[in-house]
Amino acid sequence: MKKLILIIVSVLLLSLITFFMARLAPGDPLVSYYGDRVERMSMDERQHAIERLGLDGPILEQYVDWLKAALHGDFGISFKYKQDVLTVISGRLLNTLLLGGIGFILTFAFALLLAVVCAYKENTLLDRAICKVGTITSCIPEFWLSLVLILLFGVTWHLLPSSGAYALGMSHSVASRITHLILPLSVVVLSHLWYYAYMLRNKLLDETRQEYVLLARAKGLTRRQVMWKHCVRNLLPTMIAIMAISINHILGGTYIIEMVFSYPGIGTLSFESAKYHDYNMLMVLVIITGIIVIVGNILGQTISERIDYRMRAPESDGDLFADEKEVSRNA
Amino acid sequence: MRNTTNLRNEARRFDIVGAGKRYAADAIPKTASTASKSRFAKGRFSKGRAGKGFPVFSAAVLLVILLGCIFYGAFVSSDPSRMALDQINVAPCSSHWFGTDTLGRDIWSLIWFGGRKSLFIGALATLISTLIAVVYGTLSGLANKTIDSLMMRFTEILLSIPSILLIVFMQAVIGQRNVVGISIIIGITGWMSIAKMVRTEVRKIRESDYVLISRMMGGSFSHVLRKHLAPNFFSTIMFMIVMNIRSAIVSESTLSFLGIGLPVDIITWGSMLSLSEKALLTGSWWIILIPGVFLVITLLCITSLGEYLRGGGGRIHGNL
Repeated sequence: MKKLILIIVSVLLLSLITFFMARLAPGDPLVSYYGDRVERMSMDERQHAIERLGLDGPILEQYVDWLKAALHGDFGISFKYKQDVLTVISGRLLNTLLLGGIGFILTFAFALLLAVVCAYKENTLLDRAICKVGTITSCIPEFWLSLVLILLFGVTWHLLPSSGAYALGMSHSVASRITHLILPLSVVVLSHLWYYAYMLRNKLLDETRQEYVLLARAKGLTRRQVMWKHCVRNLLPTMIAIMAISINHILGGTYIIEMVFSYPGIGTLSFESAKYHDYNMLMVLVIITGIIVIVGNILGQTISERIDYRMRAPESDGDLFADEKEVSRNA
Repeated sequence: MRNTTNLRNEARRFDIVGAGKRYAADAIPKTASTASKSRFAKGRFSKGRAGKGFPVFSAAVLLVILLGCIFYGAFVSSDPSRMALDQINVAPCSSHWFGTDTLGRDIWSLIWFGGRKSLFIGALATLISTLIAVVYGTLSGLANKTIDSLMMRFTEILLSIPSILLIVFMQAVIGQRNVVGISIIIGITGWMSIAKMVRTEVRKIRESDYVLISRMMGGSFSHVLRKHLAPNFFSTIMFMIVMNIRSAIVSESTLSFLGIGLPVDIITWGSMLSLSEKALLTGSWWIILIPGVFLVITLLCITSLGEYLRGGGGRIHGNL
């Protein structure tokens, strides 16, 4: 229940911030709705248009009106598509969740595998080679990796389709969807893999330094048994928590990748609406993204609390001196 | 939420590191076992790998790129923005070392000229976000508990949106398509994580005698910040500042590539890549690969410098 309130408050605040940012912006939203016709409008017509789009009155009043409508499922009309925002988004949300979701699961599956291999072979040539290659891949921007893959597989070798979510008129063909997913999916996985694999590798290395590993080894278990039965199992709650907080990182990457592959998801939509100053749409997209991330965070936290009681957050203000050191957000 | 936040912080600190690099056992946050600490005390280091040297190679490469971009006039004779319409899409040859792009511009000179702005945007955006982060983080750190937690909640909400979406949103809203405008937008969307760290550091030292005395003697906010707080947390956030340069450069190139950032006539590595859609149609690989390789090499060098600044030492032997 407390978590539900937290979600609602966060989403409300998020919508308030984005609403103010969008409304206080310079630039005329009428232009994005009516195009060049705005210049030929009379004052009366203009006033009418402003009222019709709900752009009159003080901002706070506008926000309350917008919120009331939003609670009834009416998020306003997209200035560009001249359609209800939700109608435009709903057709594309599933595509994004498909790409992002599969990418998310694959990323963490491979990351765990790599982490185990690296920790098992710690400090050997294999470990160092993987680390070196991983560092390089993590420095490659998503959009450029996509371009290179399109250049190789799409243009040079003609192996895989490089744009869209399915071939023309094949929206129900699963095979067509899969072939269209391969390239974007590999970019999602490749560009995020090492960031998390390295994190898990370090966690796993910490784990192998625990006393219980010594005991298990002395007891006669093989290295492999200790690794899989004890270390990896101890790593899982941490991994779930990392997964929860990584959602915004991977989602952000997915948006860029969608755009390069002209994949019809909400990422492409958000960049398009940015281009055409369609901030009614953009605002809703930001809020939807925020909801996905916040809900994901809380879900992840709940799961790890269920698995491991120690993960339960302390009620005291213990985080006051918590070691909060972070790396800047990767775009 | 709190627990997740802590993990997020930890998650962030284990950014990418090169092969075989270690971090000190005492740099591991509180999760590190007491067991490993006792071992640490007994001195079971892997002595050969203790400490991390200065990344000479990366620094040298970065210096070459930096100097090349600043003094490009010394070795690039042709005007980078000149469009030779009779020489469009020329593959790399002796007269055009890196070929020409779809507008007939010489890529070799574009690289050095464009790198200037790319690096400048990285630096300016980072300067802006560091300034915001330091002021915001210090204010939050010095404020009372209610205001502090409100300010931190605000940063957390901003952190819950993918940064690229936030940048795109700001760019759509403010919409300045020039170098300074884009640096400001990247700057004001990238301060949150540094601010959180500054706040934590300030919280740690706000009760110390010298800060207290300075405030009691009437030291202003900026005086306390400059003379007492900043020297304390600066070394801690230095590494994040360097990583911020990296993500600012990536953000700019991504935006320009997508056609939301800088237009083609303002030359950066990102806007050079925005021509790649046309290049894909003609199969001109050099237009896509060459600016990208420069971008990736620069990012790699910055990363290894950042890793050096994060510091590190030996790691005790594993029990496995």
